[in-house]
Amino acid sequence: MLRLLLTRLLRLLPVTWGIVSVFFLLSRALPDDQLLARAIESQLDTGSRAITAPQRQALELQLRRRLGLDKPVFYFSIQRSATGGQSHWRWHGLRNQYHLWWLDVVRGELGRSYRDNKPVASLLIETLRFTLPFTAAAAFLAIGAALWLSLWMTRHSRWRSYLLTILYSLDALPLFVVALVLLYLLANPDMLALFPVYGFDNPEPTDTWLANVGSYLHHLALPVFSLVLITLPGLVTQLDASLQHELQTAYAVTARAKGLAFRQVVRHHTLRNALLPVVALVTDLLPAMVAGAVVVEVIFALPGMGRLLADAAAARDYPVLQGSVLLIASVRLLSHIVADGLYWQLDPRLRSQL
Amino acid sequence: MLRIAKFIFILFIITECIACSGPKKHSGTIRIRWAQDPETLDPLAMANIYADEGLNLLHTSLLAFDNPKGQLIPWLASKTPVVRYKDSLTLITYTLRDGATWDNGQPVQAHDVAFTLKAMNCPGLPNEGIKVRLDFIRDIQFDPHDSRRFTLVCKGKSPDYIRESGNFFILPEYALDKVGTLRPISLTYLQHSDTVTLARNPVLSAFVSRYQAADLAHHPDRLPGCGPYQLEQWQSGQFLRFRRKSNWWATQLRPFPIQLAAHPKAIEYRIIPNPGTSLLALREGTLDVYPLIPAKDFNSLRASASARQKLNFYTHPSYEIVTLGFNTKQPLLEDRLTRQALSHLLNIPGLIQATEYGLAERTVGLISKRSRPYYNDSLPLLSYDPAQTVVLLQKAGWLRQADGNWFRRTVNGAAQKLAFTINYRANDPLFEQIGLQFQNAAKAIGIAINLKPTESSLLSARLREGSYDVYIRTIAGNPFIFNFAPILHTASIGVLNYTRFGTANSDKLIEAISAEADQKRKVLLLRKFQLLLQQESPLVPLFFLPYRLVASNQIANLQPSGIKPGYEVKAIITQPAHNSQ
Repeated sequence: MLRLLLTRLLRLLPVTWGIVSVFFLLSRALPDDQLLARAIESQLDTGSRAITAPQRQALELQLRRRLGLDKPVFYFSIQRSATGGQSHWRWHGLRNQYHLWWLDVVRGELGRSYRDNKPVASLLIETLRFTLPFTAAAAFLAIGAALWLSLWMTRHSRWRSYLLTILYSLDALPLFVVALVLLYLLANPDMLALFPVYGFDNPEPTDTWLANVGSYLHHLALPVFSLVLITLPGLVTQLDASLQHELQTAYAVTARAKGLAFRQVVRHHTLRNALLPVVALVTDLLPAMVAGAVVVEVIFALPGMGRLLADAAAARDYPVLQGSVLLIASVRLLSHIVADGLYWQLDPRLRSQL
Repeated sequence: MLRIAKFIFILFIITECIACSGPKKHSGTIRIRWAQDPETLDPLAMANIYADEGLNLLHTSLLAFDNPKGQLIPWLASKTPVVRYKDSLTLITYTLRDGATWDNGQPVQAHDVAFTLKAMNCPGLPNEGIKVRLDFIRDIQFDPHDSRRFTLVCKGKSPDYIRESGNFFILPEYALDKVGTLRPISLTYLQHSDTVTLARNPVLSAFVSRYQAADLAHHPDRLPGCGPYQLEQWQSGQFLRFRRKSNWWATQLRPFPIQLAAHPKAIEYRIIPNPGTSLLALREGTLDVYPLIPAKDFNSLRASASARQKLNFYTHPSYEIVTLGFNTKQPLLEDRLTRQALSHLLNIPGLIQATEYGLAERTVGLISKRSRPYYNDSLPLLSYDPAQTVVLLQKAGWLRQADGNWFRRTVNGAAQKLAFTINYRANDPLFEQIGLQFQNAAKAIGIAINLKPTESSLLSARLREGSYDVYIRTIAGNPFIFNFAPILHTASIGVLNYTRFGTANSDKLIEAISAEADQKRKVLLLRKFQLLLQQESPLVPLFFLPYRLVASNQIANLQPSGIKPGYEVKAIITQPAHNSQ
């Protein structure tokens, strides 16, 4: 088992390298005007002094030099001649952005944000501190609720079709609609003002820890609920279908024929097998936990990973983008290993094959 | 798993019961909505309008703008500067306020101003933008008899130098250069030496290292300004709280200069990206001020009787103008008759009604009506007149074919079809609506227009390169300076002159306007410029956007203005609930 997981882990390295490298080169292919404009044009519009094109170029060069963007992007480049004829290869050596970035990564540094000069690693940790609690809570609640609902539906087959219809309808709704509906219904002074509208409360020194935890969870309730509602339908429908299939199998019928209670048949026999197809869905929640939920974070003003990614993309903050992609890609690939491990544990047929 | 989920669920329920006490309200704290984080509070960087607003609480500049009155007023300077001209130089003499001190009690001196100017020119610091804005200041001369008096030596002559020379934050020398290592280095040396030479200078390298190590972007407390507030807490992406200094130097001044007033005890900027959430927070009472509120939200809020009981609504015309620009180097649009013809397809009153609920201010040019007497009121407002478009297109040599399209022959005999693309920033409903109206009006007379919402970075690149036909964008302005060189001078082509317009005459006129100090002559020049702009039509000024502001009725004296952020935060006072429109 350990050897299998280690082999998988080793295979991950080239895949992660490939994903991050492709992202690096694609992101650098985009124009960086927005990035430069933020530093220069915000101060130079009508009503300020004019600068000439050469002055602007000199300024851009200074800015690029400070940010390390003056170096070539990759080891080589292909340049087309001005007349549109032959293409020329040009070797740039090891002093290129790609090589230097990987060198930093190997040293354990992810660079600094272009926008606020913070180390990317600390930015990621800071945002994960906000993202993980609510995405993890949502994932646990969704899995728990999916298990409970699926088991409940096996016993209450009358309600099964109604419940599935509701879940399919819910599945059709995009996250932003669910989040906004919850916000306007449950945090609205004109409707029900049961929850706070946004963000977190700023703890006061006089507040007790229980009050602080209470306030924290109170603020997280709606974001968590939105994520649970959006994750639940997929899990329940899959688990329910799987359970229904397992209940028709010979071993389940035999168990019933031997006089076992239906509840016991489901809990002790069919559920374990029914979980197999759901494992991949559950492990897929891992990268989602790390990547955050940009829509929920924007609507509820939570300073999480999703917002960090969206803001970095809009501002062409390459170091933050690359650091985030490296993290998310690694977790995504790691989730596949976790899925393999879980299948190994749950399915004895896999163990017997080796 | 089921047990863990049950535990989390029960925990949620319990804490809900504990926490249902409602939002906390800190007495004397004004809570204001910001759409995004200021990212950095480094006074040299000034990343965005939020950073600028925050820095204005921490630091002071020599002059300030009285936004409601549209005037320059002395702030850290004791009075407006004395300006002299010597050969090709402008000498601007300032005297710092008597009594102005840093937090450690030391007086603010001319050496602090010199230190600031030098820091702005050090390589390796985030000062690229401010450096170019103030590169006309070539030297600083100290008064040997008065440590608070100094003269800025500026290259060339321009009436705008007064405003620009007083519009930067003065930084304390003692905080980053205790022993004055930068004093022997002249500003001229910093401006004229190449970056390699400067990087090799050990004194400069040591200073740059100190500056970078201080991490001023997130720790502005390490460079305490002489402004009225200090940053108490900053939770990135959540809020920033500023608290008024208990011993701010200006409170000791007698008579107290009104422009230095700082009323709120504490100011908390709450970062809420989503407008809908901000609206609910305002109604819920966890926000006091929502500046730059979208027109739709403003109107829906004003329509609600319960909201009107708790909130006050303010609007003020801004100096931000919506424009439609033509690429004058594009063969289809290079002649002014075609551009004029197309301008008549814009239904400006209809657009104002549809996008701004009738509140925006129409204009004949890039100058606001509020900037009388510069506004050329003898010029007619642009009319929506498709018939006139047809007449002007025919004059420009275009002929409508049987298939309904417009064609003309160029000088070399090639046929041109009148069809083009409009680029604008994606996901902007205002630009989208303007584009759609223009497209529909053009379609009715046989002109095919393709709308192309473009991602902002790509759009900037295309506009700079001139690889577009028509664009829609806003241009920010102010009531103090009328310098159109950045956007319409030939020297700015490839920089900010996106229309690529410019003739010898227009360049001369733009230069004359920016150099003219006499108000009467300036009025004449600006009126002539507006006429020229209307005749040549490189861009069509549509309307000045209004700035909208909603605030709790428990606060007052917001001093709404047409310059971002649209209010004066330091002037805000708390009051018993009261409604005013």
